[in-house]
Amino acid sequence: MAAVQGVRDFLEVLERNGQLLRIAEEVSLEPDIGAAGRAISQLGETMPALSFEKIKGYNNARIVTNIHGSWPNHALIMGMPKDSDTRAQFFEFVRRYQQYPGKVERVKDAPWMENVIEKDVNLFDILPLFRLNRGDGGFYIDKSCVISRDPDDFENDNVQNVGLYRLEVKGPNRIGIQPIPEHDIAIHLAHAEERGEDLPIYITLGASPLMEIVASMPILYNQSEYEMLSVLQGEPAKIVRMPSGHDVPWGAEYVLEGRILSRVREAEGPFGEFTGHYSGARSMPVVEIDKVYHRTAPIFEPLYLGQPWTEIDYMMAINTGAPLYVQMKEAFPEIVAVNAMYTHGLVVIISTKRRMGGFARTVGMRCMTTPHGLGYAKIVIMVDETIDPFDLKQVMWALSTKVNPAGDLIVLPHMSILPLDPGAMPEGMTHKLIIDATTPVPPDNRGNYGQPLDSPGGTAEWRQKLSKMLAESVS
Amino acid sequence: MNAQTKTTTIHPVCPRCRSAETDILTRSPVKDVWIVHGCKVCFYAWRNTEPEENINPDKYPEAFRLDPAEVNNFIVVPTIPPLRKSETG
Repeated sequence: MAAVQGVRDFLEVLERNGQLLRIAEEVSLEPDIGAAGRAISQLGETMPALSFEKIKGYNNARIVTNIHGSWPNHALIMGMPKDSDTRAQFFEFVRRYQQYPGKVERVKDAPWMENVIEKDVNLFDILPLFRLNRGDGGFYIDKSCVISRDPDDFENDNVQNVGLYRLEVKGPNRIGIQPIPEHDIAIHLAHAEERGEDLPIYITLGASPLMEIVASMPILYNQSEYEMLSVLQGEPAKIVRMPSGHDVPWGAEYVLEGRILSRVREAEGPFGEFTGHYSGARSMPVVEIDKVYHRTAPIFEPLYLGQPWTEIDYMMAINTGAPLYVQMKEAFPEIVAVNAMYTHGLVVIISTKRRMGGFARTVGMRCMTTPHGLGYAKIVIMVDETIDPFDLKQVMWALSTKVNPAGDLIVLPHMSILPLDPGAMPEGMTHKLIIDATTPVPPDNRGNYGQPLDSPGGTAEWRQKLSKMLAESVS
Repeated sequence: MNAQTKTTTIHPVCPRCRSAETDILTRSPVKDVWIVHGCKVCFYAWRNTEPEENINPDKYPEAFRLDPAEVNNFIVVPTIPPLRKSETG
């Protein structure tokens, strides 16, 4: 199957699989788009994407949302059957990830070159921007890929960054951006600002659902997002080299060319964030857009985010656990699976075999020392290898019975956390917690775990027999 | 201001910080459907067709209101690094 190279192609995949709901009635930008985005995530884990085809105040605008917002949609983005369960999607993601790096395909022309705006850019005219949640300080682009290069290492394709950062459109060609210190782009910006130079960037919208999953994925600083995309989609990522030297996804709907202004900060926010809380208003960098490319009849693809679960939680789920798994497994091959689906990994559940007493909690500390752990992994729950970390019923059983708070809660004081964590004190600092819910092994001899229950002999055969009988009784 | 706060002028006060320094950011591509206003002080933006809580200063939620004086004291993220010293000195 040919890889999807843009959101437009993916809409066809969704439609073929019954995962696209077209909304023909005219809608208001506020509050309809945000309200529908919230509502669709409340209706379950298998919901379709939404396509709004008539927007009040625009002639031909089209908004699609909830592209990432369900497990069937995530499976289809991966090119898997839409009923693939979460665990299967995780291990397939890991399998492909471990083939990194892939090759890219460089092309000269792209569909977004059809229309070019070089003067009097007005983002409001070409993007049907709107307020997502009532307390948002403005109209945001909340799903995009921002491409930057390190001015101190410009030619190095591996440190070219493709990241997903929130963007507040403040004027016709003026955008507020949030490059928090944990983000790779903050390193590029710091180098540019030390030089007193603007940082050239490209903002692409609608690049492809898998590109956006990679852009929001905590891979290593010197790993190329495009080469990661290639292995995840099973064929080379198509990219276009701009005259500036930056590489831009071929499949985008819009490409905005601009600069983060050197040493400028101004009011930004608040924005309702993936933590389920508003971010507060802060003083953050500013982008000026100089040029816009877009496809004819472009599709605008925002996402809804609010109190989990919403679309963003599906997008930043498997892509968060997989790199943690691969990075930690290098040191500790005993690790079996990592579930970092909760609020982009503020909570992480790790199942592992144990080499000796105290092993599991050491693995928990390793999670906190991954790059992503710098800003996340506030609570790490360690469970036995026999527990499926994606099955919360099993995890809760482990917490219920394997934990003695006398010795199994390991608190690490004053650790770093992303500034958006509302529990932090001060902003950016928090204690962290490892909960060791594994069964103690020697020389750790705590507890009375000598007689665990197992299944009676013949359970597997009965399971097979009963399943067959149930299937026959239904048909 | 009270319940009579005027919101229908061409340049209304900012619903969030009540600054009078506001501007029209854009008008709807289809004529006369809506206008987007922006505040030059706190950068709040609003469309004149939004629910009252987003466009009327008196109905704007207390939790999100801002004093214009606060804007200069926001936390700076990320911090601005020192300029490098010129290699030639």
